Amino acid sequence: MTARRVVLTGIGVLSSIGNGVTEFTRGLREGRCGAGPITRFDSTGFRRQLAHEVHDFTPSAWVRHTPAEQLGRATQFSVAAARMAVSDAGLDPADLRGGPGLVTVGTTDGEADALDRLVEAQANGTEPAGLDPVGVGRLAAHRLALAVVKELRLPRAVPSVLGTACAAGNYAVGDGYDAVRSGEAEWALVGGADALTRRTFAGFHRLGLVASDRCRPFDADREGLLTAEGAGILLLESLDSARARGARVYAELLGYGLNCDAHHPTAPNMDSVAQVMRLALADAGVKPEEVDLVSAHGTGTPTNDVTEIRAVRQVFGDRPPRTVALKSMLGHSMGAASALGAAASALALTHGFIPPTVNHRSTDPECPVDCVPNHAVEADLRVVVNNGLAFGGNNAAVVLGRHEET
Amino acid sequence: MTTVAVPTDRHFITAWSAVSPYGVTSADYARGILTEDSGAGRAVPVPEGHAAQAACLVPGFEVREVLGRAGTRTMDRATGLAVTAVRELFDEASREERPVPVGTGTALVLGTTLGSAQSQHDFAMASFTGQKPYDVPAQFMPNVLMNCPAAASAIRFGLQGPNTTLAGGRPTGLIALGYARRLLAAGRAERVLVGAVEEYSPSRSWIEHHTRGADESAGPLGEGCALLLVEPGNGIPAGRTALAELLAVDIRVDVDDELASTAESSVRDALAAAGVEPSEVWAAVGGGLTGRVGHVETALLRRLFGAEAATRVDVHDRIGDTAGASAAFQLAALLATARRRPEAHGRPAVITSVDRDGSVACAVVRLLGEAP
Amino acid sequence: MSAITIDETVEAQVRAIVADALELEEELTSTGLFVDEYGADSLAAIELLSTLEKTFGVTIEQDELPKMVNLEAVLEVLSRAAAR
Repeated sequence: MTARRVVLTGIGVLSSIGNGVTEFTRGLREGRCGAGPITRFDSTGFRRQLAHEVHDFTPSAWVRHTPAEQLGRATQFSVAAARMAVSDAGLDPADLRGGPGLVTVGTTDGEADALDRLVEAQANGTEPAGLDPVGVGRLAAHRLALAVVKELRLPRAVPSVLGTACAAGNYAVGDGYDAVRSGEAEWALVGGADALTRRTFAGFHRLGLVASDRCRPFDADREGLLTAEGAGILLLESLDSARARGARVYAELLGYGLNCDAHHPTAPNMDSVAQVMRLALADAGVKPEEVDLVSAHGTGTPTNDVTEIRAVRQVFGDRPPRTVALKSMLGHSMGAASALGAAASALALTHGFIPPTVNHRSTDPECPVDCVPNHAVEADLRVVVNNGLAFGGNNAAVVLGRHEET
Repeated sequence: MTTVAVPTDRHFITAWSAVSPYGVTSADYARGILTEDSGAGRAVPVPEGHAAQAACLVPGFEVREVLGRAGTRTMDRATGLAVTAVRELFDEASREERPVPVGTGTALVLGTTLGSAQSQHDFAMASFTGQKPYDVPAQFMPNVLMNCPAAASAIRFGLQGPNTTLAGGRPTGLIALGYARRLLAAGRAERVLVGAVEEYSPSRSWIEHHTRGADESAGPLGEGCALLLVEPGNGIPAGRTALAELLAVDIRVDVDDELASTAESSVRDALAAAGVEPSEVWAAVGGGLTGRVGHVETALLRRLFGAEAATRVDVHDRIGDTAGASAAFQLAALLATARRRPEAHGRPAVITSVDRDGSVACAVVRLLGEAP
Repeated sequence: MSAITIDETVEAQVRAIVADALELEEELTSTGLFVDEYGADSLAAIELLSTLEKTFGVTIEQDELPKMVNLEAVLEVLSRAAAR
């Protein structure tokens, strides 16, 4: 059996800078920042008040076969982004019914928003026996993938949800890559989805990692991250399949790497972060000097950015490729983050531009990279590395390459 | 880019562990599964305020008593169960004087429903009831994430390979097995610890209470963690016995409200992929749901494999409803049973799992008694 | 205007909070460094800050965290913390 080349032919996104691939691309080019006041939960009493929310989202436009209220917000996002990706690939869900496929969705919180609401009811005196069964029914994390399979009527798809926290999107992309590459799956819908949750906001707030105004990765005055919601789902298929149907190819997936720090529950480990990039490059058969852009995990917290940039320099040397942090625009959309990063990387390759690191004032001398401050630049890109790092030391890096028909 | 050959190896289960309502060790589990009397009496009373009066708990399982005080201060029950199951798997292998190497070559793929529902509940509750909404216990932040059990296991034992937390409902253990096979086939790990964990807690008891079908005769909830060590054929150290070869995994979803035919297609396709005839199958172990969904699965297994094979291994009646860990416990029970039955060696066996929401999974293994 | 006056009672309370957050078996000295001598990590430091805030009804700004290197420094930070 020979390995097949894997390409990305459909992108579905929901984000604080725009929904759908066209708006998302425009947002990346314009350097939009999606930060705003929190409306998804009552933020009274918190010392931080901003987050990146998805706007103009109508569940009933996407959830057609299930009563929409049975699905939590992250699951609704997942379904919507999957439908967008299929349509963007020039396909109808019925086209995917026959062949074996894979639906792998990464998430940090799953339906924690639904759990928050149940817990709030209990805090206000509801007995556990009196909890709303519809709300409880939303909780199980695997529904983020299962709902896609059921909504799109994909009887031969394997539904998995990967709960590898904030690297989960890249984990899912990697899973789809392996399945399509080996021929186990004809196609894969992979990525990540998370809704804004009070629990996670409170947690990052308590850890002192939430910024007061804007997320400023690599900036000398950065304060931290802004939590976010969003979804990014990618349609992967083999190059042969894309060619046979004359599909537009955004990018080729060249390889990926996974590893685990096995070191600390929350603090990243520089050598391990460097190692995951090396693993990804080796898997892709790409040399460090061939990389044109790094889409960093880049949360904007003091620790992440220093650790990650040191790792980037360990891998790429003293003149690393331009290294951007999309979280300056998108916030930290948790399990969706690296999937949105992979989508943005593919769009950058397709359209020949580098999305900027916005909200930037002066680069931290401890983070010495060209982060493409504030304004997108045109660039002839061939290879992009997209990083995803997570609490628990779950790291994943994906390598994407420009596709040219020869 | 050049086209390269994909490594197509055969994958073997070479060790297992189960922290179960029968005790912490694999021997406890094997003894419990093989004992004559069924486990109806395993359920013990739980405090008031839970959804039911009794549950099948890992006896005396207190994290710090089992794992010691070092590094366990913030471990919740789900994490403690997973870490203990990893320890037991390593102990098992070491007893055979074939220790499992740690480091970058060893992956952990751990199934779960939510991680620790109780940790998540308590953390969120602190935000609603604290003096300030951010008065949440920072030290438990890792515990609200689904990957806490897998990540904590990695930290404790130095597992630096791919570390994946996977949710797939009741068939999670089989979906995780399929995922693990992809990792091995792509050369991303030299060996994979794969299984699933489920804790019992009041929070989980209420979630299950509200989500079980009205037509189900709800038995007691169970808990624990079951793990398998899966290695490629060319990676098994000399002297370690392969317990089973993984022949096929089929996972699909009933999207057209045709559960019976979906489940049958899944099993038949898995058998075909494995090159196995239904008549050869020594044991078929189902997912243990009651109600309409459970009946579809039970009837299918009896029809395809006969009553004897379909009842050869008894799991769920003994350890309770282990939900997301149920399929992993089925596999461990199959291996425990087959080990005592030499006539099983060389025969194929089937594990199935069908969930309320239409997920269907089937794995086919060949039971082995000798090294391949 | 500080919210807390450091006296023997407060010091004893703080000592107990530190001992718990750092899981100390040994005696905590006034100048013993949390990270270097007692093996504290970033999560333990946040837990300490958080417990102090809740116990004494104060707000400790995030930029005080790096200063809280030992018991003496914690008491100093607490003495100028404002009420919540």
